[in-house]
Amino acid sequence: MVKNLPVVPTAKAGSLVETPTGITWRIQHPEILENCNMCLDCTLFCPDGAIVQQAGELVLSLRLCKGCGICANECKENAIQMIPEYSGVKGVFR
Amino acid sequence: MALSIADLPKEELFGQGHAGCGGCGAAVAGRQAMKALGSRTIITIPASCMATMGGSNLKTTWQIPFYHTLFEIAPAVSSGIRAALDAQGIEDVNVVSWAGDAGTADIGFQALTGAAERNEHMMHVCYDNEMYMNTGGQTGSQTPKFAITSNMANGKKVKKKNMLAIMEAHEIDYVASASIAYPLDLIAKFKKAAKKPGFSYMHILAPCHRGWQIPAEKTIELARLAVESGLFELYEVDEGKRTRTVEPTFIPVDNYLLPQGRFKDLTQEDIQDIQAGVNRHYGRGE
Repeated sequence: MVKNLPVVPTAKAGSLVETPTGITWRIQHPEILENCNMCLDCTLFCPDGAIVQQAGELVLSLRLCKGCGICANECKENAIQMIPEYSGVKGVFR
Repeated sequence: MALSIADLPKEELFGQGHAGCGGCGAAVAGRQAMKALGSRTIITIPASCMATMGGSNLKTTWQIPFYHTLFEIAPAVSSGIRAALDAQGIEDVNVVSWAGDAGTADIGFQALTGAAERNEHMMHVCYDNEMYMNTGGQTGSQTPKFAITSNMANGKKVKKKNMLAIMEAHEIDYVASASIAYPLDLIAKFKKAAKKPGFSYMHILAPCHRGWQIPAEKTIELARLAVESGLFELYEVDEGKRTRTVEPTFIPVDNYLLPQGRFKDLTQEDIQDIQAGVNRHYGRGE
């Protein structure tokens, strides 16, 4: 018989996803370009789990991204570009 | 059979919305490890960045049971959790203690060596950022020679303690080093360690860009250069059999050292000293 494991008593599991830390720290955000060849390296290198694979394509969650730039630095195809926030008239939080 | 990223589980058991810095190497290590360990895992973490990153009190980023222990006792608590699971007849759970380099090599060492001696059915993971980063970057025994830290402005005078060799000497089931720049290698090692009936020890090099004084986006790149230069060897000791898992190209060590702010005062003699150390110590114990 498989018993259920005890959960953390004071906090609901995974509850930080609803109110992510660091969303206001970001000074640049990534953008996935068309030459992405779906090697999926960035999904394992992202510290925040902001890039995940869903239904065969990469999904970028800007609610979780802190804008560290690891994905753009590690992408072998240079298919991720970092765009500065607050540039131009539409510089707002997403 | 070689792993591929597409086959890994899609669930995010750790990391989404965590409270660490942007570009945190420890968070990368945690995410990659949880891809291998899966949801049937109980994790204990002593005082470290990883404990605060998981969230405090009312919110957590962990999707699995996570217990924040005192600094010295993470492997002891894990031993107790395993004993409780055995008493209840629950078998399919990985029990992991996950500590930083202080919680492993210095402050937490007596609990670790005790658990290893008893050959408890558990896994201890050391994520090594080579400094006491949660308290402001003090020198520890895993800090490399010549590195500048917040309490040693002239650089450390002695070399880094070889924690892997110490754990190997306990004659436990599985000892491995891993790097966040080689995720499939890391995940394969975690899967192997999870299958062992006794104690396994994993040592992950997870750079901290604040302490190493590098740009946040270079975190993974520096972890790769540490392996490529031969300063951090990737190998496993599977029940006494030592195998190197990644063959480096042995680039000169200054490619790894000079981009880091903590090595900014290195002289040419110091670099030659470190290079000679690589040539002397690489593959030691083969």
